[in-house]
Amino acid sequence: MRVNEREEAMFKSVQDVIEQLGDQGYICDKKIATVVFLAQQLGKPVLVEGPAGVGKTELAKVVAKALGRNMIRLQCYEGLDEAKALYEWEYSKQLLYTQILKDKVAETLAGTQTLAEAADRVGAQDSVFFSSRFIVPRPLMQAITSEKPTLLLVDEVDKSDPEFEAFLLEVLSDFQVTIPEIGTIVAKSMPLVFLTSNDAREMSDALKRRCLHLWIDYPSEELEVRILDRKVPNIDKRLAEEVVGLMNRIRALDLKKTPSISETLDWARALLALNAEELEDQIVSDTLNVILKYEGDVEKAQNELAKLIKKRTAEVAAEKPQGAPAAEASAVKKGILH
Amino acid sequence: MQKKVIAFTNLLRKSGIRVSVAEGIDAFNALDELSLDDREIFRDALRTAMVKRGDDIAAYDELFELFWSGFYDNLRQAFDQMEGDLGAMGVDLDQILRQLAEMMKEMDGELDLSELAKALLTQDLSQLENLIRQAAQEAGTGRIENMLQVGFFSRRTAEQMGLEGASQELENLVERMRAMGMGDAQIQQLQELMRKLMETVRRTVRTFTERELQQQNHNYMEKFRREMLTEKSFYHLTEDEIARMREVVARLAQRIKNILSIRKKRLKRGKLDLHQTLRRNMARGGIPFEVVYKTRRKDRPKLVILCDVSSSVANVSRFMLQFMYSLQEAFTKIRCYVFVAELGEVTSVFQEKDISAAIEKALDGGDVINVYTRSNFGYAFHEFWKNHLASIDKKTTVMILGDARNNYNDAKAWCIRDIQNKAKNVVWLNPESPSAWGFGDSVMDRYMPYCDIVEECRNLRQLSKVVDQIIL
Ligand SMILES: Nc1ncnc2c1ncn2[C@@H]1O[C@H](COP(=O)(O)OP(=O)(O)OP(=O)(O)O)[C@@H](O)[C@H]1O
Ligand SMILES: [Mg+2]
Repeated sequence: MRVNEREEAMFKSVQDVIEQLGDQGYICDKKIATVVFLAQQLGKPVLVEGPAGVGKTELAKVVAKALGRNMIRLQCYEGLDEAKALYEWEYSKQLLYTQILKDKVAETLAGTQTLAEAADRVGAQDSVFFSSRFIVPRPLMQAITSEKPTLLLVDEVDKSDPEFEAFLLEVLSDFQVTIPEIGTIVAKSMPLVFLTSNDAREMSDALKRRCLHLWIDYPSEELEVRILDRKVPNIDKRLAEEVVGLMNRIRALDLKKTPSISETLDWARALLALNAEELEDQIVSDTLNVILKYEGDVEKAQNELAKLIKKRTAEVAAEKPQGAPAAEASAVKKGILH
Repeated sequence: MQKKVIAFTNLLRKSGIRVSVAEGIDAFNALDELSLDDREIFRDALRTAMVKRGDDIAAYDELFELFWSGFYDNLRQAFDQMEGDLGAMGVDLDQILRQLAEMMKEMDGELDLSELAKALLTQDLSQLENLIRQAAQEAGTGRIENMLQVGFFSRRTAEQMGLEGASQELENLVERMRAMGMGDAQIQQLQELMRKLMETVRRTVRTFTERELQQQNHNYMEKFRREMLTEKSFYHLTEDEIARMREVVARLAQRIKNILSIRKKRLKRGKLDLHQTLRRNMARGGIPFEVVYKTRRKDRPKLVILCDVSSSVANVSRFMLQFMYSLQEAFTKIRCYVFVAELGEVTSVFQEKDISAAIEKALDGGDVINVYTRSNFGYAFHEFWKNHLASIDKKTTVMILGDARNNYNDAKAWCIRDIQNKAKNVVWLNPESPSAWGFGDSVMDRYMPYCDIVEECRNLRQLSKVVDQIIL
């Protein structure tokens, strides 16, 4: 373990992680906190997997904030390569220098007879043009050369190509890079590393072996209510519970895109904006498009709602057999979840 | 504790969760960093270090419960019940044990009790748990297979932990107490206690054995499920199995891709190629505009697939195609032909987005051939020979999949001979068992002389073996 060389913010315990992330507005359970704490203690990268929108990226951000570390983000995509992730030569600058130093170059080449000889002379001066002066550091290099300990977020690593993953593996295993023309650069301070994945493809066993693993699923109802409470001030506790309850029913449906925490938050905000105090079926119906992006999904959710209302109506009718029509109307009005 | 974690790791492995040695060590390191009083944290710490696949988490949780919880709770329950029973008979367990402890202290030194007897008299249940686990291991309880063996392994465990000996020790102790002048009534209570203790230990040992059986069954079922799928003949698959099999194939293909790409990575980014750089930049007055690196290149093979899609082999074709489709990038080029009697090219179908749609379409003849006819390999090969032989070169692997049941048509094996002459190699996958090759209307024996590799390929295990062989 190479952390803690200087005065550095550290989590003291699992409980401390929960509290400090809570201060940053991130509500998490022991499961998440245990992994974060261990990542710090063992200095191992964490591979965070789970469905979209459950707070994978956010977790890395708040950990960085809580520890007062600078977050360096490497966003992955298909076709991302070493040059974009690690370093590139700054050709234009090299070119400029060559121009400016033209006379010097001529001097160097003075007296050479053949092209091969000239080339050898130039070759001997290689190191001038391939030195760190001409390197553009990309995120991985920045994380490795940073003086202060950082947090490196490799976001959506599943979007990258397997070749890139293999390369990443090398960097993560020893935190050093070798630039053929310059030499090996070793990390000055160990970055804390988070990799996130949406499971677009399964990551290799080799990568997984090197990482601690965290699976973030949709939160429990209790946790999600707390997240709402925290992120949407002003929300009434009962409305929050209704929203979360209905959300969980919707998640249980077989949808093209299952709504996540961000959708719950959006929805709650939309409902507040509409001054809704409870989930009446009309309002729900009108706002479903906030949480569901596909027409087919909205339809499925509508059906589920209709079923719920029917069931509720039947229950009310059973309670008050004589006044069926009136009961029906009030059941519908009364919000579908009570 | 260490031993127990190792035993748990082994249980995970046996249940099909892959845990490497390094990950096992990570788990230990993780435990060092935490206080272990919190069961949840303990469970999550082990998981984060050892279980890395979303699919395995449910199984892990189940095994964790089975392994870690429970048995201590079982012990606790059994002993609570014993205390209750004794209480009902007017025996105050706490009091009598305290009394016993005091009298034993007086004869300090002369008393040399076994670990087990000590654990029982001090009601040290964690120590008792350890003793039982250890004994069960020595008794080989881990090998238990069915209900009928519960009695047997329980007895062996009891023997291993020296239960008889401990019982004797306790009896002797009672006699000593009597000799030291303990009253009759109390002696009787003491005897009752000793009898109950023995009974309770026997019962908990049995419980332990039963739990072990449960764990084994869990392993067994899991293994069985997996093996079933890879060993299961492609000939008899239900819709559901086809769907699951598709996932397994996808995973196998991914594995191969990972191996390929990691291998490619090893051929690291090369050094600067000065000569090439100068030559390339000659036109710009030798200013290194474009930099050339030395790289080593490994030629990727070309692949030509000839796939029998008659209904008798449709499933084999399906998974072979899925494999190859997923591994497209391992080849410079894949061309794919399907046939029953006529031959048609479906390469373009493969460039369509959706893999499963592409495969279903190919199996359906891809709109180019009639699949509802009788197989004629000779005719199909001749078609290929006439129209596509020219596309074969020394870098091409030709892969043929079919049962070579030719309906007594002309085999035209010389077509394959000519193909072999031009290709890097010819691979034939036959879903039938070798003992059937060449019998009835099978003409496999006629083609075999012109194939470099001939493999029986009827299930996933065989298929992935062949693919490994060709690609890696
Ligand atoms: N535990 C939490 N506490 C507070 N807010 C949360 C929590 N989890 C998620 N959020 C909120 O949900 C939103 C989505 O989170 P985030 O973008 O991190 O998801 P993600 O898992 O990275 O999604 P994707 O896979 O699409 O990248 C964020 O705005 C974040 O504020
Ligand atoms: Mg994200």
